[in-house]
Amino acid sequence: MNPSEIATELPWLWSGLAAYALATFVAIWGVAPRHHVGHGTAGNINIDTRQHERLVLGLLLAALVFLTIAIAQRWVRIGHGPWISLFELLMSQLLSLGVIFTLAYWRLPGLRASAVIALPILWVLGTWVLMLDPKASHFPATYYNEWKWVHVFLGKVYLALLLLGVALSGVMIMRRFKRTAVFFTRMPPDATLDKIAWRFMMLALVFDSLMLIAGAVWAQDAWGRYWSWDALETSAFLTWLALALGLHLRLTYRIPAWISGLMIIGIFVLAFTTYFGMPYLSPSAHKGMV
Amino acid sequence: MIRMIRAVASLKVTLVGIIMLSVGAALSYDNRIDSTAWVIVVPLAFLSVNLLAAIFTNPRINKQPGLLVFHISLLGIVILAAIGRLTYLDAHVEIVQTQPFDPRSMMEEYRGPFHAGSLEKVQFIQGPYTVDYEPGMQRGLTFSEVFLPDAQGNSVSKIVGDDRPLILEGYRFYTTFNKGFTVLLTWIPDQGAPETGTVNMPSYPLFDYKQANSWTPTGGEEIKFWLQLQTGMDPEAKWRLDGRNVSGVLVVTQDKHRVELNPGDTLSVKGGQLRYEKLLTWMGYKIYYNPTIKWLFFVSMLSVLGMSWHYWKKMASKPWPDGVKDPEVKSDKSNMQGKTV
Ligand code: HEM
Repeated sequence: MNPSEIATELPWLWSGLAAYALATFVAIWGVAPRHHVGHGTAGNINIDTRQHERLVLGLLLAALVFLTIAIAQRWVRIGHGPWISLFELLMSQLLSLGVIFTLAYWRLPGLRASAVIALPILWVLGTWVLMLDPKASHFPATYYNEWKWVHVFLGKVYLALLLLGVALSGVMIMRRFKRTAVFFTRMPPDATLDKIAWRFMMLALVFDSLMLIAGAVWAQDAWGRYWSWDALETSAFLTWLALALGLHLRLTYRIPAWISGLMIIGIFVLAFTTYFGMPYLSPSAHKGMV
Repeated sequence: MIRMIRAVASLKVTLVGIIMLSVGAALSYDNRIDSTAWVIVVPLAFLSVNLLAAIFTNPRINKQPGLLVFHISLLGIVILAAIGRLTYLDAHVEIVQTQPFDPRSMMEEYRGPFHAGSLEKVQFIQGPYTVDYEPGMQRGLTFSEVFLPDAQGNSVSKIVGDDRPLILEGYRFYTTFNKGFTVLLTWIPDQGAPETGTVNMPSYPLFDYKQANSWTPTGGEEIKFWLQLQTGMDPEAKWRLDGRNVSGVLVVTQDKHRVELNPGDTLSVKGGQLRYEKLLTWMGYKIYYNPTIKWLFFVSMLSVLGMSWHYWKKMASKPWPDGVKDPEVKSDKSNMQGKTV
C-alpha cells in the first residue's frame, strides 16, 4: 500500500470527536437539574456551574486543536484542502462550526446552556463522518479558483450562525415542556432568546447573500455561467428565500417563541441538506465535482 | 388610488410573493434552459410590483436608508437578470488547431432576442493544448494556447483553460472536457483540383474506443476510417495529453482490406487518391456572453452593503440584551414554562 493512502488524520479526528463528546456530556450534566443544588454536592462530585463551563470550554478548545491537526495531516497527505468529498466537508465543518460555537460559548455566558442542543448537532456530523471512507479525493481543475476560498469561508460563517440560532430555538421549544424546561432556568427569557436568535438569522442572511454572490462569481469562472438552477444552487436559493420569509413573517405577525424556533430549525434543516445532501443526492449538483 | 397602492405594497403580499417564488424555484430545480421561465418570471414580477409600491408608500422601508438601498438593489438585480436573459448568448464550438474561430461553426446556440454583440470582431487562432490527468483518468488542468492579433497585426500567444476563459469583445471562451484529434486530409481526384479538409474525430479520451469517422470529398465517395492513436494514456497513472507527442495511424478499410496510413502517405481509392497529411487536435469551447454580469456583481454587493448598514444601525447601539453577556443578571423564571413575551 502506498504510504500516502494510510489515513493518518484518523486518530486526530477521533480525538477531536471524543473531546466534543466529552464536552457534550459535561455540558448536559452541568445544567441538569440536581436535588441538592448550590455550592454543595451533586452526587459526590463537587462542581459548580462556572467550573463545568470552564471544563466544556477546555474540551471544545482541545477538540478544535485535534481537528485542526487532522485537517492539516490530511491536507499534507493528499495534497489539497478539505474541499471535495463528503468526508472532507464534514471534517472541516466540524472544525468551523466548532470554532464559531466556541467563540460564542466563551463570549456569551448567558447563552451557554444552549450547548446542550448545539453540541449534539455537531455529533450528528461526527457520527456521519465516522461512517465514511477517508480515501483521497480528486481535486478538480476548477477548484484552483481564488473565489473558492471566499465562497467556502462565507458559507461556513453562515452555517455556524444558523447553528447558534438553532441552539436558542431548541431552548425556546424545550421550555414548552416541564421536564426539559428545567435545563434552561439560568438562561434569559424567551423574548430575549428569540430576539438574539433572529439577530443570528439576520447576520446569517448577510453571510448567505455574500456566499451566493461569491459562488456565482466562481461558477461564472468555472462553468461559464453564474447561475443555472442546478440542484445545489436551487436548494441554496430556497434557503435564502426561507430566511427572507422568516424575517418578513416576524415583521408582519407576532410569532410565539416556539413557532419562531421551529422556523429557524426549518431554515437550518434546509441549509443542512443543501450543504451535505444535495451534492450527493443529485448527479448534476455542481458539475465541477466530476 | 393611494389606498390601492398601499394594498399592493402590503407586507402580506410580500409573503405571498416569496412563497410563489419558492414554488417557482422548486419547479426549476435541476432544470435546463428548456423548461419554462415563467415560474420564476411571474413571481419576480409580482414581487417587483409589491416592492415598488412599498418603496413609495411604506416609511418602514423608505425612511431607513440601508433597507432602502437593499430593496432597490433587489429590484436592480431582477432588472439586470432580465436584461441578461434578453441579450445573452450561449453556444459551443469546436476549433481545429491552426484554424481561426469561425462564428458560423457554432453549435447548440441560444441567444436572447436582443443579443447585439460583435461576434464578427472576435478573432483568434487555435494553437495546441495540453490536459493533465491524475490516476483514474481524473481530468486536471487544461492549457490551451490561442493566438490573438495585436495592433501591428502580429500574433500574440495566450494560454487559457478551465476557469481562465479567453475574453474577447465580451465573449467568454471556456475550454471544455470535449476535445480530441483531427486528421488533415487531401483528396486528389482523377480529374479536377485537389481539395484539403479536416475531419474531427470523436472526443478524446471519452470515446477513446471509437475513434472512427468518415469523409466524403466533393465528387468522391464516402471514405470510412478510424484512427489508431498512441497518446501515452495510462488510466492508472498521471499522464499528460499533448497532441504534439501523439502519433496517429489512419486505418482505412478498402474492399475488406485494411490499409494503414502514416502522415504523408497516399492511398488510391475509387475516383482519386487520399492523402493523410497530418494529425492535429481540436478544442471544444463553451461560449458565453452576458453584458450584465459585472453590473450584477456590483448591484448584489450593494444590496449586501445596504443590508449590513441597516443591521449595523439596528444592532450596534445594543447588540446583546441583558442577561446574554452577563448571566448574573437575574433570569426570568416564569419563562421556564415557555410562555412567550
Ligand atoms: C424577495 C426578497 C426580499 C428579501 C430577501 C428581503 C429582505 C428584507 C430584510 C432583510 C429586511 C430587514 C428585516 C429586519 O429589519 O428585521 C426587510 C425589511 C423589509 N422588507 Fe424586505 N425583502 C425582500 C423583499 C421585499 C419585498 C418584495 C418587499 C415589499 C413590500 C419588502 C418590504 C420590506 C419592508 C417594508 C421592510 C421593513 C421592515 C422594518 O424594518 O420595519 N421586502 N426585508
